[in-house]
Amino acid sequence: MKYAIETFDLTKKYDDFTAVDALNMKIDNKSIFGFLGPNGAGKTTTIKMLTCLVQATSGTANVAGYDIATNPNEVREKIGMVPQLVSLYGDLTVRENIDLCADFYGLPQDLKISRAEELMELVDIKYAQNKLVKQLSGGMKQKASVVASLIHQPDILFLDEPTIGLDPTTKRVLWDLVEELNSEGRTIILCSHDMYEVELLCDEIGIINSGVLAAFDTPSGLKDTMIHEEQEKKSSKSSQVIEIMDELRKEGGVEDNVAYDQLKEKIERKNRDLKELSVMISNLDDSMLNHLNNIPSILEIVEHDSGRIVMDIESSEESVSDIISEIINHGGNITSISTKDPSLEDVFMSVTTKNKEEGVDDG
Amino acid sequence: MMVETKKIMWMVKKDLLVLWRHKPRLFSLFLFPIIMITLFGYGMGGTINNIPIVVVDQSQGPITDATLTAIKDNSLYDVKEITSDPNAALAMVQNGQAKAAIILPTNYDNLNDTSPKSVIVDVDSSDQMASSAVIPATQGIFNGINQQLAVQKLQTTSSNITTTTVNSTSANSGNAYQNILNTVDTEVNKLYGNISYLDFLVPAIIGMTVLFGCVFGMGEIVAGERERGELARLFMTPTSVATVIGGKIISKLVQETGRGIILIVAAILLFGIIINGSMMLTVLLIILGALCFIGFGIMISARVSSQEDFMQSVMPITMPMMFVSGVFFPIETMPWIFQKIAYILPLTYVNDALRAVMLKGAGVGDIWLDIVVLIGFTAVFFYLGVTQFNRDI
Repeated sequence: MKYAIETFDLTKKYDDFTAVDALNMKIDNKSIFGFLGPNGAGKTTTIKMLTCLVQATSGTANVAGYDIATNPNEVREKIGMVPQLVSLYGDLTVRENIDLCADFYGLPQDLKISRAEELMELVDIKYAQNKLVKQLSGGMKQKASVVASLIHQPDILFLDEPTIGLDPTTKRVLWDLVEELNSEGRTIILCSHDMYEVELLCDEIGIINSGVLAAFDTPSGLKDTMIHEEQEKKSSKSSQVIEIMDELRKEGGVEDNVAYDQLKEKIERKNRDLKELSVMISNLDDSMLNHLNNIPSILEIVEHDSGRIVMDIESSEESVSDIISEIINHGGNITSISTKDPSLEDVFMSVTTKNKEEGVDDG
Repeated sequence: MMVETKKIMWMVKKDLLVLWRHKPRLFSLFLFPIIMITLFGYGMGGTINNIPIVVVDQSQGPITDATLTAIKDNSLYDVKEITSDPNAALAMVQNGQAKAAIILPTNYDNLNDTSPKSVIVDVDSSDQMASSAVIPATQGIFNGINQQLAVQKLQTTSSNITTTTVNSTSANSGNAYQNILNTVDTEVNKLYGNISYLDFLVPAIIGMTVLFGCVFGMGEIVAGERERGELARLFMTPTSVATVIGGKIISKLVQETGRGIILIVAAILLFGIIINGSMMLTVLLIILGALCFIGFGIMISARVSSQEDFMQSVMPITMPMMFVSGVFFPIETMPWIFQKIAYILPLTYVNDALRAVMLKGAGVGDIWLDIVVLIGFTAVFFYLGVTQFNRDI
């Protein structure tokens, strides 16, 4: 089985409102997939359809090799879900909740006991097994929920905002657990608003907006696409400016042709793929600045306090290392270096804003 | 099948564990209906006694003495004071010390005085319950006295005619009058014994308790669990709607039957209620009523997404049902429109059947129509509940 999940025009409508609109996506088996989207984008509705908690209005999906419409019980056997709001019975103990889930999945008694013990040890909650769920902290509840969702050893685990409201240490424990479960061969579907979490864990990311799949790629692929799109945007604007300048020249409106050529070259250089490089040089002086100004891959230098300079440089693979080598060879003492690439959050903002600009109704 | 049974048992166990771990909930579950019986049975609908009154006697003689004795002997009255001052008596009513003042006229004991003897009753009409009890009872006492005075007048007329035969004549005339009275005397046969209002109330309180317990209980364990996401946890597993609903039904049925039995035992021990019919049939009727109301709860909770929505949906039906279905007053005494409405509400049939069995000692043959109607309601509720149940979370 190549794909853990494959959707075919999956659609959910509530009266006149379309929550999910003809969704088509393929999620690789044994991968960690990040499912992102703004609030009300259709993320939770999609997850509910895939976990057979809500029926699709039209279209369908294969989950773990079974059709959600025709074989929902087979799908349920193969999936587990840790919902956003802990759905365990607060008035039952952790162990009672786990046993209840095990019996609802029809596990034999001996297997039920061994798995419960094993999973409780894995997430370190065994010591609290006889406590009522309502008496537990948020992190403990989430751990108990994970155990209840894994008791039947599902092939696919859905995690809906699993670390929301948790402290950094507990988050880290859950992230380690997600990676461990994935290394055991489980597919993980992670819904989250935490971009760091998604970038850290996910192999592929889908961004849904207004019920439509707006982006689907690896985290680096999404960033590259964004850089590319930004570049295309800039390029298009620059081309328009150059066209106007050429028109002016034809009409004899340019007196200083040298200045004209310099300006045109500058615009064209700006048009190229750029990135931001920030370097702190403790012995920065005018000689160093002059030297840097003569390096062709540096388009612009802005000097800041305490020896920090921020440069717009060409976005080639070698440009950063070349510039750093030049600084060192010129006797520069570098104390810190940083580059500014688009973050996943930038990608998310770009994708979701773009949809709005293009007039997709956000419902 | 084994797995499904295990799931159902879990739902029963879960609800019982939750109940056990919520002591106030457990306490109110059983205490609420007993409080209801106590409040309605004794507070509202019991026999009214000991209404404080004041009597004004403005003359002396055997008729006054007999009247005072008659008033004192009546348990409705608690004679706070006998005075000769009408204004003082009126003041007592006005300041709340007495609910009524019975003022005997000054010529009350004078048989020779042919002018009307007007007894005045000043009642505190702001107390509707007291005044509605005092007025007919007082009128009854003075009607009796009036009859006796009429007999005495007949005796006096005979003696005027012939002194020697006063006693016999008068005796003959008196006997003739008494004979006439005797011919219109009524004989009351209480077919089912001396049934008090409390006896009348208990079966319906049981019915009403089962109604509220089942309907609101289903709101909690279906709509409430749906709202809290707990139902989603069950529906994430390969479990059918029928199993989940079945488990909820059995769980609620166990609780409500247990409560019904405890309620009957409490009514017998605490209030001395006598069940004239079969105890087994009474319990079976409670189970049937519970099933019917559980079905109603399932039907409403099938489509709603929160407990608040559920409450808003059931309140306009359950509250009128409580008043229209003959819990507190016989249906026949209600306006005709309410009587018609009563017969489309299942609580009416539960009350009717429970009263027939508990008060009249009726058997299945006597209440078959109630049973058939209740089974019909139950079937419709369950059909709609299961077919309309929204598995979507």
